[in-house]
Formats: sequence, structure tokens, C-alpha cells
Amino acid sequence: MMLLRMAWRNVWRNTRRSVVTMASMAFALWVMVLYSGLVQGYLGAMEDDILEMEVGDLQIHAEGYLAHPNVYDVIDDPDAIVSALHAQGYGAAPRLLAGGLGASGEASAGIMLRGIVPELDATVLKVADRVDQGTWLDASDPKGVVLGRRLARSLGAGPGSELVVLTQGTDGSMANDLFTVRGVLDTISDGTDRAAVFLLAPAFRDLLVLDSGAHEIIVHRPRDVALPDAEATVTALAPGDDVKSWREIMPTLASMLDATASLMVIIFLIVYLAIGILVLNAVLMAVFERVREFGVMKAIGVGPLSVFTLIVLETTIQTVLAIAVGLLLALPVGWYLATVGIDVGVLGGTSVMGVSMHDIWLGQFTPQLVGTAIVVLVVIVCGATIWPAFKAARLRPVDAMRYR
Amino acid sequence: MTVTSSPVLQLEQVTRTYRQGEVDVHALRGLDLSVGSGEFTAMVGPSGSGKTTALNLAGALDVPTSGRVLLEGTDLASLAAHQRSRIRRDRIGFIFQAYNLIPVMSAFENAASVLALQGVSEAEQRDRVMPLLAELGIEQLAHRRPDQLSGGQQQRVAIARAIAAKPAIVLADEPTANVDSTTAERLLDVMERLNQHHGVTFLFSTHDDRVVAHARRVVTLMDGRVHHDDVRA
Repeated sequence: MMLLRMAWRNVWRNTRRSVVTMASMAFALWVMVLYSGLVQGYLGAMEDDILEMEVGDLQIHAEGYLAHPNVYDVIDDPDAIVSALHAQGYGAAPRLLAGGLGASGEASAGIMLRGIVPELDATVLKVADRVDQGTWLDASDPKGVVLGRRLARSLGAGPGSELVVLTQGTDGSMANDLFTVRGVLDTISDGTDRAAVFLLAPAFRDLLVLDSGAHEIIVHRPRDVALPDAEATVTALAPGDDVKSWREIMPTLASMLDATASLMVIIFLIVYLAIGILVLNAVLMAVFERVREFGVMKAIGVGPLSVFTLIVLETTIQTVLAIAVGLLLALPVGWYLATVGIDVGVLGGTSVMGVSMHDIWLGQFTPQLVGTAIVVLVVIVCGATIWPAFKAARLRPVDAMRYR
Repeated sequence: MTVTSSPVLQLEQVTRTYRQGEVDVHALRGLDLSVGSGEFTAMVGPSGSGKTTALNLAGALDVPTSGRVLLEGTDLASLAAHQRSRIRRDRIGFIFQAYNLIPVMSAFENAASVLALQGVSEAEQRDRVMPLLAELGIEQLAHRRPDQLSGGQQQRVAIARAIAAKPAIVLADEPTANVDSTTAERLLDVMERLNQHHGVTFLFSTHDDRVVAHARRVVTLMDGRVHHDDVRA
């Protein structure tokens, strides 16, 4: 109790230094919580876009399709695989894929046709939720299509516009048909934004004269199943086909996400290291200023452990206050960033590694993130305190009292 | 109070050599000194005669190069650092030239600090320290911090701290060096009274003639040895 009382008073003994030290710690915590929340929000949104809008957790293709995509290489019995996956609690939806040319009015552009079964597709991806203009595909409108954002812009097309599609059928014929644009998507990814034309699977099959099979099955794993485990399960259910996780399909993006997460940790450490040096300096000054005092304390019988504890308590008090202030300042800003976000619409859907940034950049603040920022701060401060505290604890009273 | 025969402190053939750069400094060269319970002893001598070194050894703040320092029969050099720390807390009181109070503690808290270290309850600390402060004439200043006290008042708090835990001996290093002569006389009166009324054993290291005048035994050190030992009636 005496040590705690002394520590509290010692903190306020040099008010300016203590306030500067605490303000630095609070500022570092504030910066780190907000910075990591924003980065986590950015990475989370990017990963969600990849997993929920574009790729899914895993994909199944016919052997060799990914290396050389062509309309002829199909998964022979996609329905059986989809049924087997559904039975195991996985989401699964077949997709039909083909390149072509789209024209609307005087404009034309290269397109990527994506034939889907909307009700199955909704179990694995959330593209339907991203319709910006018009509506999503519906079985009652077999000639309706939904376009990617930039494709619609370059074709000058919108809901109600006509789209002529030219492609090559699997029978070698020139395939062409007239479709009506039902909707235009919000930004999703570079590939989808620039070229995607979503249409119903039957319309795709009619156009390309493809009676059976699917080019791709997108798989969504149950949340409690780890990606490698899911990959093993799906591989077992699709023998002879090529099963890949999203990390294998988009390795550059996966690496970038990992690198960004690592960069976050490095910046974390750099900022905190700077704070650690500041704290070390402050504690060292506090110790050197009081060498004689520690000598007297030890002379009257205060043990080394108590001296050590006193200094640790002084830093603990400052750290606790700094954490309280840092959180008090970070939480409202974090709440704003998580709910309102930063409008980056001016960037016009800039994409990073093929994944488009949303117009609103939302932060993601979890207890774990805030907890990590606090724990790292505490660890760094402890590291910076131990040496001076140890030094003070080891002082010989006879030397310390002679110290000037 | 008369000097009793039982020695509280014994220094037997004590030497203490310091290394100062390339030179060995022999601060004590075979010092023999025995201080009995209830003594009021002044240790005098020129600078460098070994007074402060002897006091540091007697106070378990330092260990001898050779010889033995016995406090109530315990060889201080044989103790581990934490044991010496406990001996200092429980059996030795210190009064320093520069008062050396803890600046963030009030006069009462400073005086009671050794009791607090011993784990004495706050109520008992109050019961034991407040009468002491009253006896030293600073009861009304108990709540003040050291920087709100005069030099003499601070030294009285230091005296209260030194004797609050009823130590076997109080070691006072130039206790009157930083105060004016009137205050010095008052402090000496207070310490003499504590010695005579409460049997507190004092060993001073001093240059001050006023201390010598009050002392009932004067030990003169010269070149790290006892040169003269004068016990007064």
C-alpha cells in the first residue's frame, strides 16, 4: 500500500514528464487501434470480396482448365458433386464460363459470360446483393443479363438496354443472341467490373450449345472448417477434377494480404518501439534523478524487490492512465470509422491486385484487435521499464547515497 | 543513563580498502571499536580518518575487507544482502547529514516509513509515531511534505524515523552539519533526551564541537584506527 501511494505521488512529481510520457503512450495506442482497424477493415473487405463475390473458398475445375481455359473442358457430373457437398454442409454452385464480344448501340467490348443457377449461386456468393442499378437475374426473364460496372459504362448500357452477344458455340458455330440488361453491379473486382456478363445457365447452354457439364463449381465451406481441411474434403468428393483453394487461385493476392497483415505488425512494432524508447528514457531519467533517494530507501531497509516494484508500479500507473485515455479517444473515432467510414469514392473504384476498393472504406474494430494493441503496448513498456527498475533495485546504498 | 557493559556494536580488526583508479585506498586499517547499549558516542577525526567508512560498516551498508562487524553478536559480513537489508530495517536507525527524507511522503509518513516496512498497521504507526513527533516538537507539522519544512524540522523527522522502530543503535552521520547553531543545539538536546530517557544508543560521526560537547564518549580516529578513546564521567 505504501509503495502504491509512493508510486502514485512519484508519477505526479514531475508532472510535465509524466504527462508527455502518458500522452505519447495514449497517442501510440490511439494511432495503432485506428490504423490497424482501418487496415483490418480494408483487408477484411478485400477478402470478403474475394471469397463472397468472386472466388468462394474453393473451386473445382476439370483437370487442366485453369491452365488453359476453354469451353470444352467441363466437369462431367457437376450435379452429383454439388449434391454430395450440400450433404456435407458445404455450399456449392456450378458455373458456366466463356469469353465473347458484347455490343450495345455503337459500343462493343470483350466480355466474360458467366452462366449461373441463381438459387444455387446465392448459397456460395453474394453477387446478387451487389446490384447497383436494376435487378438481379430471374428465371422469369430468360434473356436478362447483369453487367459489371465498368463494362456497362464502356458500353453505355444500363437496365433496359439491349446487349448483343457474339461467341463461339461448342459445336464450332458462331453463336450470337440478343439479351436485355436487367441490372448493373456495383464494383466487385477488376475482372468482374470490366467484363462480367451474368446470365442464366439455360440461356448460356442454348447460346453455346453446351448440353451438360460445368466449367467451375464454387464451394463455400462451413465456418468451422479450416481451409486445408475443406480442400481435402472437396478433393475426396471430386476425384479426377482439379480442386484449389482461393489462396492457390489468387496466390499474388493471398501473398499481398499476408504481406499487408505482416506490414501492419511491423508498423505496430516500429511505432511501439519508438514509444518504448521514450518510456525507457523517461524511466531512466526518473531513476537517475532519484539514485540518492533509492540509496536512502535501501539504507532504511527497503528491499531490492520493493524498489523494483515501486518503479514498475510508477510505470504501470502511467500505462493504465494512458490506455484509458487512448481508448477513450480511439473508441468514438473507431465507431465513426466502422459505421460511417471514409469516402474513397473519389478514387473511382481503384483496384488492388484485381480487387476493387469500395467507395466507403470501413474500419473493422474487434475486441481482439484492441486487445492486441493494448497487450503489445504493455509488453513494450514492461520491456522498457525492467532494465532501469532492475538497475535501481541493484544499487548499493552506500554508493547510491554518495551519487551526485 | 549510564553505559551498560553489553556491546551493541563491535568492530574487530576491521579493514576496508577501496580501489580508486589504479590506487588502493586504505580507509580503515584494523579498527577496533565497541559500542555498548545506551551509549552516546561521538566519533571524530580529520577528513579521511575513516569515520564515514566505519559508520557505513556499522550500518550494514558496506562490508569490510577483513575483520568482523558484529551487531548484537551477528556478523554483518556473513549475511546476504536481503538479510542485511532486514537488519537495517529492524535494528539500525540512520540520521544523515542531508536529512534524506522521501520527498513524496509527509513528515508522519517519513517517520513511520520503517514501521510501514515492518508491516505495522497504520493505526499502530499513528500510536507510536505521533507521540514521538510531539516529543520532537513537530506534531503539528505531521502532514507536511519535506519541502515545506525547515532544515531543523526535517532533521527532527529524520530522528523520528531513525528511532520509531526502536533500533538497537542509531548511526548519525554529521547530523548537525546542515543546520544553524541554535537548531543544532536543539537537535542535540532532543537526541540526548532520547538517549537518557529512552535508552537509545547513538553513534555519531562528526566534526562538530557541539556534538563532542554533548557526547559522553569521544572516539578519535586517525588513519583508519582508533587514536584516542575518551570516556567521560
